[in-house]
Order: sequence, then structure tokens, then C-alpha cells
Amino acid sequence: MLKNPKNKKVLKWLLVAGGSLSLIGFIVYFYFATLSHEDTASLKADYTVEAIPFIKEFEKDHKAANKKYAEKIIAVKGIVTTIEPADTTMNIKMTDTTTGSYLIFAFQDQHMAEAKKLKPGENVLIKGSCSDGIYSEILGTYFISFKRSTVEKKIL
Amino acid sequence: MKKIILSLIIVTASMIAFAQKKTSTSATVAFDATTSLDNLAKAENKTAIAAIDPSKNTVQFEAAIKNFAFANPKIQEHFNQKSWLNSDEFPKATFSGVITNPSAINFNKDGTYNVTVEGDLTIKGKTQKVKAPGTIVVAGKTLKTSASFNIKLVDFGVEGQPITAGKVSAEPKISVSAELN
Repeated sequence: MLKNPKNKKVLKWLLVAGGSLSLIGFIVYFYFATLSHEDTASLKADYTVEAIPFIKEFEKDHKAANKKYAEKIIAVKGIVTTIEPADTTMNIKMTDTTTGSYLIFAFQDQHMAEAKKLKPGENVLIKGSCSDGIYSEILGTYFISFKRSTVEKKIL
Repeated sequence: MKKIILSLIIVTASMIAFAQKKTSTSATVAFDATTSLDNLAKAENKTAIAAIDPSKNTVQFEAAIKNFAFANPKIQEHFNQKSWLNSDEFPKATFSGVITNPSAINFNKDGTYNVTVEGDLTIKGKTQKVKAPGTIVVAGKTLKTSASFNIKLVDFGVEGQPITAGKVSAEPKISVSAELN
């Protein structure tokens, strides 16, 4: 069959097409497999808010607040109330002491060192990706979680 | 006599204090569905809520699905979408159970105790019984807990081509750890 020059040409084109498709597939897979989150410090905040009024928005209507803030980059001004160990890392909390509801920030690896320097009582601006706000049946309060956070600045 | 009464008051007060529910708002729940074909499907949630009530031997966990942090943003998007965890409709995973061998642990004495926990795990609105061995370390007024177990995704209504193709494990490993005060 391959003695026929026409068939040889078809086979050659099939090999080229197959190889090209495989290469494109590999490039597409490689592109998606190596995607990573951007550094939150370099992202512009969708909203800049004060911690306590922000918590109140979730307590008042958590569905509306989630629709507005979930998966958005939020910069939050507030006072650090608690620093908690979380496995090998740590989280920062800003709590509304009147209701017990709180914001909790987990930090991006590259910003963990600056977060570890914070102390309870400090007034700070923290930027992170707001996951959502949920009512905890265990605690009887709302908790609003942030991931990939970074300390923007300490407010004096 | 006064010393004995004072000692009794102190011991009773410390026992009452320890009998109260211990909680953490920074418990870690890790999800690992990696396979030999793909190592992308793994994430951690470090803001889960955990509670142990030593007086009732109960154990509880709550984790916001959207706060599972994946290294790859595309995988995180898939994890939350309607056909997978559908986190808009089912925003949290919960566990509520009991220590089935309470005689194996003394909450008033420092030490490392091996326990078995059994209870209801709810993911995506579906509840399944789960039984897992775990460890509780009593250190003063603090409890450090850890446990890991596997779940079947199909039991929680999670199915899809990446599972059948072997890119996502059908039985991912769930690891939990917490420091409760």
C-alpha cells in the first residue's frame, strides 16, 4: 500500500496532523495544569470596607452580602482581635464582640511572614479573596472566611 | 480542713472548666483527590470550625466549601461549580459525631489518646455515616486532634468525567486537625 506515492503522502499528512494535535493538546494541558493564583497584593480591591459594618451586612442579609462579596477581592480595615494557629500557619480574626460574628483571614504563603508580625489590638488593612459568609450552627454566629490574604498596611 | 476544702474547690472548678465545650475556628480540613495521572485535585481549608464537648464525648466540624484553597484556580472553579460541590447551594460541609470509645481518653490527664469517632458527614446536602480512627492530645486546657479517612464521592452525588478518566480519585482522603481551647 505504501508503494503508492499517493498513500505515502496521505500517511505523511496523517502523522503531521496527529503530531500537531498531540502537541496542541499537551500545550493546552500544560497551560491549565500550571495556572496559579495571582499575588493578592498586586490585585485591585473590588471593595474597601470597615470590619464591623461589613460583618453587620452579613448578619442582616447573608444571601445578599454573599451575592455582593463572594469570590471578590476585599480590603478590610479593622482591629485584630485574635491570632490563631492553623496547622503550620496562622489566621487573623476580626470579631464583632457584641455578637461574636467574625472575619477570618488565611494568608497567601508569601505573605505569612508579615501576618505573623501582627498583634491583637492593632488596626490594620488586610486584603483577601472573600470566600463567603456562613452561619455556624456550632458557634451560633456568622463567620466570613477569606483566603489568599495579604497585610496591606498597619493603620496608626 | 480549710486547705482540703480549698483544694476540692480548685479541683472541682478545673474539672468543670475542662468539661466545657472546646472549640477552634482555625481547624484544618485537607482534601486530597490526587491520582497517579494528576496531582492537581488537592486543597486545604484552614478556617474550619471544630468543637469537642468532653462531657458528652461529641465531636463537630463545619467547613466553608468556598474556603478550600487550591493551588490551581481552574481546579478551584471546577470544585465549586454546580456539577461538583455546588457551593452556592450547599456552602458548607459538616460533621457531627461521638467518640465511640470514651473510656480510652481521660480529658483531665495530659497524654496522647487513640480514639474512634463515628457520626454523620454532610456534603452537598447528602449525609453519610463515617467512622474514623483519630488522636486526641490532652495538653493542659488544650486539645489537639487529628484524624483522616476516605470518602466515596459518588455517595455525596459527586460524579464526572475526570473521575472516570482517573484524574480525580473516586475516594479522596480527608484529613482533619485542630487545636481546641
